[in-house]
Amino acid sequence: MNGSLYLRYLTRELRGSAGRLVFFVLCLAVGVAAVIAVAGLSDGMERGLRSKARELLAADLAVESRRPLPAELDGILADLGPATERVDLKEFVSVVAADGGSQPGKSRLAELKVVAPPYPFYGELELEPAGVLHDLLDARSVVVAQGMLEPMGLAIGDALRVGGESFVIAGAVLSEPDKVNISFTSVAPRVFLSQAGVDRTGLEATGSRIKYRALVRLPGTDADGVRAAARQVRLQLPDVEYMKVETYAEAQPGLRRGLERAERFLSLVALLSLLVGGLGVGQTVRAWLQSRMDSIAILKCLGLRPREILALYLGQTVLLGLAGSVIGAVVAVGLQSLAPAFLTRVFPTYVIEVWQPFAILRGVLLGVGVALLFSLPPLLTVRRVPPAFVFRRDAAPLPVSPALRYGVGGVLLAGLFVTALLQSGSWLLAAQFTGGLLASGVVLALGAWLTARLVAGAPRSFSKVWLRHGLAALARPGAGTLGAIVALGLGVVVVLTMYLIETRLGGQLNADLPDDAPTAFMVDIQPSQWDGVEGLLNDNGALDITSVPMVNSRLVSVDGVGVESLVEQIPKDEPRNRWVLTREQRLTYQADLPESNEILRGKWFSDESLPEVSVEREFAEDMGADVGSVLVFDVQGVPITLHVTSIREVDWESFAVNFFLLVEPGVLEEAPQFLVATARFPDGNEQKMQDVLAADFPNVTVIQVRQVLDRIVEVLGQAGLGVQLLGAFTVIAGILILGGVVSAGTIRRGREVALLKAIGMTRSGVVSVYTVEYGLIGLVAGAIGALGGTLLSWAILVYWMNVPWTWATPAPWVAVIGTVVLAVAAGIGASLRALGRRPVEVLREN
Amino acid sequence: MKPPAIELRRLTRRLPSGGRDLTILDGIDLTIDAGEFVAVLGPSGSGKSTLLALMAGLDRPTEGEVLLDGEPIQALSEDALALIRRRKIGFVFQSFQLLGNLTARENILLPLELNGRKDAGARADRLLEMVELSDRGHHYPSQLSGGEQQRVALARAFGPEPSILLADEPTGNLDSNTGKLVLERLAELRREHGTTMVLVTHDEQVGALAGRQIRLRDGRLDRDAAREEVLT
Ligand SMILES: Nc1ncnc2c1ncn2[C@@H]1O[C@H](COP(=O)(O)OP(=O)(O)O)[C@@H](O)[C@H]1O
Ligand SMILES: [Mg+2]
Repeated sequence: MNGSLYLRYLTRELRGSAGRLVFFVLCLAVGVAAVIAVAGLSDGMERGLRSKARELLAADLAVESRRPLPAELDGILADLGPATERVDLKEFVSVVAADGGSQPGKSRLAELKVVAPPYPFYGELELEPAGVLHDLLDARSVVVAQGMLEPMGLAIGDALRVGGESFVIAGAVLSEPDKVNISFTSVAPRVFLSQAGVDRTGLEATGSRIKYRALVRLPGTDADGVRAAARQVRLQLPDVEYMKVETYAEAQPGLRRGLERAERFLSLVALLSLLVGGLGVGQTVRAWLQSRMDSIAILKCLGLRPREILALYLGQTVLLGLAGSVIGAVVAVGLQSLAPAFLTRVFPTYVIEVWQPFAILRGVLLGVGVALLFSLPPLLTVRRVPPAFVFRRDAAPLPVSPALRYGVGGVLLAGLFVTALLQSGSWLLAAQFTGGLLASGVVLALGAWLTARLVAGAPRSFSKVWLRHGLAALARPGAGTLGAIVALGLGVVVVLTMYLIETRLGGQLNADLPDDAPTAFMVDIQPSQWDGVEGLLNDNGALDITSVPMVNSRLVSVDGVGVESLVEQIPKDEPRNRWVLTREQRLTYQADLPESNEILRGKWFSDESLPEVSVEREFAEDMGADVGSVLVFDVQGVPITLHVTSIREVDWESFAVNFFLLVEPGVLEEAPQFLVATARFPDGNEQKMQDVLAADFPNVTVIQVRQVLDRIVEVLGQAGLGVQLLGAFTVIAGILILGGVVSAGTIRRGREVALLKAIGMTRSGVVSVYTVEYGLIGLVAGAIGALGGTLLSWAILVYWMNVPWTWATPAPWVAVIGTVVLAVAAGIGASLRALGRRPVEVLREN
Repeated sequence: MKPPAIELRRLTRRLPSGGRDLTILDGIDLTIDAGEFVAVLGPSGSGKSTLLALMAGLDRPTEGEVLLDGEPIQALSEDALALIRRRKIGFVFQSFQLLGNLTARENILLPLELNGRKDAGARADRLLEMVELSDRGHHYPSQLSGGEQQRVALARAFGPEPSILLADEPTGNLDSNTGKLVLERLAELRREHGTTMVLVTHDEQVGALAGRQIRLRDGRLDRDAAREEVLT
């Protein structure tokens, strides 16, 4: 068969099947859209992070510390080149307030940023009125985020109190290139002020959480040069292990790591919806070929070789796969261009590059590949069609060699693994994914087989004819029950898993605070302020007021090994261990074990002769310490040696203030410290209290727990939107599949209905027969699928996401019932046409 | 000397049926010379269709041999058999067996194109003319009557000028007038092309058109059955 002839028959063969093949195209389009949307968006983010890396850092190089930067930095930078420029920033949160005259004005938590020219080295601040930030800022003015004006009832030109001092709002920021620090507190709106301005407030003296940041510009230096400069700084700067040295060349490693993790997860979820679509494709192809058996036999009689016929149908599959994939790509591009608007809270969306041709190409190829993979097993039947079929409908199918059959199975499995590898970029994940699919498939096939076996024995013992016939239909050879149950069951697994994970994540955050949990935290209270603050809290109806002293320090060594060398041994992909060692360690001291804590090992402060410390379990593990370890801390210049005498388990869900490091009383009393207080406001007076506190104790920062939780919900809600969308996608794909599965039987169905009616069965009788047949298919697929989905989401939540599990959800039951209902509805729906026609019409068609 | 067009040697076909074997054809010996027109007669279920399927390599014998132009075919692969059918054999079936998604003309074109004939289009048109369907070429089978469909099938079968034509009850689904018309065309085309033809029918009148009649009963040739009776 030559090429042009091949192409001609390719298109001719599609003629009669258009309607049925819409399923094929839709199944695939849904999955491909998911895959491309995820890949395109994350590629777009990743590219954006790289191409806008300088703007996002506002510099070539940045050094960040929790303490004022060492004086040596200037000399080190000067050595990097004569043109090197430096500008310093400070960032910290504080409560700011509108000027209420004699009353306390409305207050809110804000993120202050102290800047000086020529910040930013790269990128533009968009301002209102348009202009240069530093022209607007002086010792008496601030520039604030546009978004905070209206909620506080403020306008440009009004007064804003920061740290108790009054400032004029000289302008509003519309966008800020280097606001990428997507932490939950940084969702607080921005307030820019000058050094002279912050000096008036005295906040620097009392703030315990100031970030000091030096931005560096290295004119004419390329990425390698900047990296070399960073190495230089890391080598020469004292105490650099406690600081963060970033270059634009690394392009936001933290953000990219988070993105990569999210992408891996979402890519696999998208792949699942593509595979669910693939199952639908497989079922559709099976049905399609069944309706083509006659043609295939005739073609064989006319002398077409089996491999030519196979090529013909493979060609169709590719054509249809391409059609489905292209439609999917169009949908995906639409979704992608809408996405940035929903991600403003979790990503600097201005960098996203929407148009990602490579992701589209990859998605289309993946779509065609999956279509081919899943069509392969049914396409094998082309070889099995006996040419003698033209004489007798029951001519025995030709044998297919076991090698070929297992070969196809192997190809299918290998193909799944390769697609999973492409999607996740991880061999381990791809293997787990393929293994999981295989296991689910095997369990489902086993369930289907068992059902058929059980049912095959049963029919004769039932007296109701529709029950007998319905069960018999299920067990009849070649009924396609196995394929239907496996496809449907896998669909249920995917949909239910998505749903459970999504609702569990959302549900955990929306859970109400325990009644006795504190609703506000107050930090940076100076010891001399405590009496006043406590009185103020009491006046505003606070209950359960607690306060603990806090001392900032740095960890110097663990068992004699300096933090500097400990940090060097940490692998790059374990950022938490580094954080544990180099963070600003907040020590507290108290005589009694806090309520929600439990000693796992060792004893609570019992040794008279040693200064003791009790360490939280996970923190101790990450730090590499245990009972008996000796920790040395630098408490603002004074080295203090502490002995670990107990390891504690902390119930973090208690919402109480908890500490990684608890020190025995008698050690830290003389160190510079501040207080952290918690209180519960049963009357919801947090805002009123904050307003008064901002007026009387402007250096105290209030964190309202409810507000923070709401923000987390909002942020995660945006991140979760992708999961929700994908979930909806898989549900749609699942329903399409069911349609495909059921349509696989419609031809046989029509003849059957006609026969049953011809021999005198009423229409309701026929419907009962199908209800039994499809109900049972739905029950088996739904039950196994629900079990699988529940187990899978349990494993993902508990082991991967560290979210506690709850059985209190009706979802698995709903899934079982829903699958039964859906299967019965689809089965009867597909038979409706045949039910309405006169038997003779159908039988004559033969 | 030219080998016979079709030669069957001790041809046996058995089918497993409910645990034991069912013998459909039992040791058939038959030689059909090139250009011969043979009718296979016998009651329904006597194994006529099975015999035809074996001759064309559509089915495989349990024992015995099938030789086409002296070449044994029973051991060939499906692919090789397909190629032999493509070049040598034309079919006409009781139930027409046209491809439903191709028009009448496209149905006729298919085997011509498969054989790579340069004149495929012109030949298809001439064949349509010969079966008096020139103006129906663009119609799909579902838009044609039974007799018209069978004439399209005839044209398709003769298109690539096969050396052997196998017809299984070509008039079985037609009323007698239409059947007669189809048979006339069939005989005409055979004469014109000098094709070896095996015509299966249970109708004595139709069988009488052939140069030689062979009778099948219970999977055996009648003369063999007769000989056995004499021997026992
Ligand atoms: N694939 C098959 N399965 C079961 N029985 C078959 C099969 N093929 C043929 N037979 C049986 O073999 C016998 C001959 O069939 P066939 O060749 O179609 O007869 P004819 O064409 O003479 O009517 C019949 O009894 C038929 O039932
Ligand atoms: Mg027959």
